[in-house]
Amino acid sequence: MRTLTVRRGMMYHAPAIMAILLVLVFAFPVAAQTVTDDDVNAIAKKMYCPVCENIPLDVCPTQACADWRGEIRQQLESGSTEQQIIDGFVARYGERVIGTPQDPFLRALSLLTPWLIGGIGALAVLIMLARWRRSGDLRPAPAVSGVRILSDDDYRLRLETDLKERR
Amino acid sequence: MLAEIGLTALFLTFVAAIYAIIAAVYGGRNHADQWVKSARNASLLTFPLLLTAAGVLWIALLSGQYQISYVWAVSSPSTPTFYRLTALWGSQEGSILFWSLLMSLFSAAALLLNWRSHRRLMPYVIAYMMATLAFFVGLSLFLENPFERYWLLPGNEVAQTALIPAGAIAPEPERLAATAQGLNPLLRHFGMIIHPPMLYLGFVGFVIPFAFAMAALASGDLSTNWIKATRRWTLVAWLFLSLGLLLGGRWAYDVLGWGGYWGWDPVENAAFLPWLIGTAFLHSVMIQEKRGMLKTWNMFLVIGTFSAVIFGTFATRSGLIDSVHSFARSQIGFPMFFFWAIVTVISVGLILWRWNRGELKDDHQFANILSRESLFVLNNLIFVVLFVAIFWGSFGAPIVSELFFDTNITLGTDYFMRVTPPLFLALYILMGIAPLSAWGATSLRRLGKSLLIPLALTAILLVILLIDGMRGVGALVGYGIVSLAGFVALYEIYRGAAARHSSLNENWFRAITALFGRNKRRYGGYIVHLGITIIGIGVIGSTLFQQETQQTLAKGESLSIGGYEMRYDDFTPAIADDGRTMQIADVTVMRGGQEIANLRPRIDVYPSNPMTIAGSYSTLENDFYVLLVGWEELSHATATFKVYINPLINLVWWGGLILILGTFIAAWPMELLPISVREQVRNDRRVGAKA
Repeated sequence: MRTLTVRRGMMYHAPAIMAILLVLVFAFPVAAQTVTDDDVNAIAKKMYCPVCENIPLDVCPTQACADWRGEIRQQLESGSTEQQIIDGFVARYGERVIGTPQDPFLRALSLLTPWLIGGIGALAVLIMLARWRRSGDLRPAPAVSGVRILSDDDYRLRLETDLKERR
Repeated sequence: MLAEIGLTALFLTFVAAIYAIIAAVYGGRNHADQWVKSARNASLLTFPLLLTAAGVLWIALLSGQYQISYVWAVSSPSTPTFYRLTALWGSQEGSILFWSLLMSLFSAAALLLNWRSHRRLMPYVIAYMMATLAFFVGLSLFLENPFERYWLLPGNEVAQTALIPAGAIAPEPERLAATAQGLNPLLRHFGMIIHPPMLYLGFVGFVIPFAFAMAALASGDLSTNWIKATRRWTLVAWLFLSLGLLLGGRWAYDVLGWGGYWGWDPVENAAFLPWLIGTAFLHSVMIQEKRGMLKTWNMFLVIGTFSAVIFGTFATRSGLIDSVHSFARSQIGFPMFFFWAIVTVISVGLILWRWNRGELKDDHQFANILSRESLFVLNNLIFVVLFVAIFWGSFGAPIVSELFFDTNITLGTDYFMRVTPPLFLALYILMGIAPLSAWGATSLRRLGKSLLIPLALTAILLVILLIDGMRGVGALVGYGIVSLAGFVALYEIYRGAAARHSSLNENWFRAITALFGRNKRRYGGYIVHLGITIIGIGVIGSTLFQQETQQTLAKGESLSIGGYEMRYDDFTPAIADDGRTMQIADVTVMRGGQEIANLRPRIDVYPSNPMTIAGSYSTLENDFYVLLVGWEELSHATATFKVYINPLINLVWWGGLILILGTFIAAWPMELLPISVREQVRNDRRVGAKA
């Protein structure tokens, strides 16, 4: 009888137990996912600690950087994404902790400026070459300091001729 | 007594340099030869005076004169003799003195070697060289004096002054010795013996071309004289700077524990910037020599190189941008910035003045986009854009962001790896095409014909790489472009040697050596290109195919990476003679089941900071590079290792050596011209003299 009661009890509680198990099954992979050192370093590689001047976080040997790596690990273990972790560090310590600014304007300014300057330079060179061509000055190069300029082919030809003569 | 001698020598150097400037300018403007000679003698005197000052500091370092604050700061009784010698450039005050010493050495050599041949330029050359020297000696004398000493004042206060304060007595030597700090741990490495001197030689070497260029602008002698006088000096400076950069990379690889050789650190970049502009100048100067073109541009490049040198020194030493090289920071930022700005403004002003007077007009103009000169202009453009991109990433963006947006930013490897690779590849493309083009004009057909064999060789290489399993498009494109440049250099050498081999029946060795002997600059340049190609292959391999892992191992456990296995065997804490504690792990590296190396990665702990010393097993194929990251205290039962496989990394060093060899060949003073050319030069000179 008592056994029956227990069985009945189990029957009554079975849906609740199943529900708890299901919750655990779906919840635990996030909470208990294995985070390797390589996972941590993949994020730390992109970051700089403000104390250790331009040494990437993944290779900096100081305790401060080890603590930051520990924090990245904790956040990965708690399910944060790479971007969330980086955003969190930037919010707390500023743009300096990341190798490329997260702020869209600063990011664009940083990445586009050299290309803009390069483009202007290329345009200047193209205009310069076009102007030179238009001027149509195709005279041979004048002598520089009294020595006629020899092309490399001339030079090689003469070199061989001289050597033949020397023999 | 030692400090007094050093101080006096430094003061006399400053006086001699200032006198030389005044005498040279006065002599130059008034055509008073005696004054110019007097200026030359004063300039020459600066070298023995600075040698005395540096010699005194060396003696103080070797004999442990800890009352001198510099000696106290960079050495201690346990510092080995070897590092006492290198401590001369181990910190700010000593390195500025060393910079000045090398500057005076270069100045003396430039004066002695060019005095007769370029007499007209000499007064202004002296003035500019001595102005630079006086500035640096002035820094030593007034702001970063290496001969300051500690004094005990009445009331037991401590003072640090160069001259003896009233009523002061010297502290007890034993007490000073006991508290001496010792050399910065990062500098206790073989690479640091020659890395800074090479870099300084490169930096000060560029002062000579700058002084000649400025002398040409000031004197109005705007022919190619200044270029002839300085071409070899530029090559020598470039050689030392290249060597300095390579040794710096090796030092970083061995000591900094980054797993690489180039971290895009602002101070590394500060040394790379003058190299880029200097390389552009080495190419474009040929256009002025051969075609009388780009006169204004070459002036800008020489001044840009010098300006980059001064800016690099300023950035390194002022703490402008935080960096691992922060050992050299001090309060000299403002004077250095002021000097840099003044020099740049005056130089650019002089160029614009001469340009406005029409004195920098080119003798000839570009005729064809496929001419060698046009391709060299493109090469210059890319070098300058690279300069701008690296300057922007290292200094421009962080400064602009801080000044105008009140935000501190760091542009790291990610930025540089996005911006620089296309530019480097464009340079390699030009390195492949430009040597095959001709001055004046080249037809597309002729260029294509010349490229046929190098292109075929490149295609064969790519097919081999594909068969070997390489699939990455980036890597294939990179290897294709880089190897094309190398094949062109090899093919050009082969063509020259083959001509001699077939026409003169010389054996191949004789044909190649004779070829190099007859045109050192051209074929030395090809060897430099070959070196750059090999460096490029190494950089692509070690960047795109680097593998890394970090794992914690118990004793006896192994990890696997890139075909290697590594077993953690043991752990040994130790204390070195100089007082640092060392945590050493013993690991065994295996490949194919065979033990191939026993490595001992370690962490050295100094009172100030820890240093990670890698264990490395090197082959031409790759480096197995292991760092000790952590360990279980007391039992050492487990330890954490970071392991890198760096493919082809040794090609970076080998390519560097080939680059140095090529520069030596190109810069070697003896140029043997063909007999008929020599006769023609002589005849032309005779005709010119009669006219």
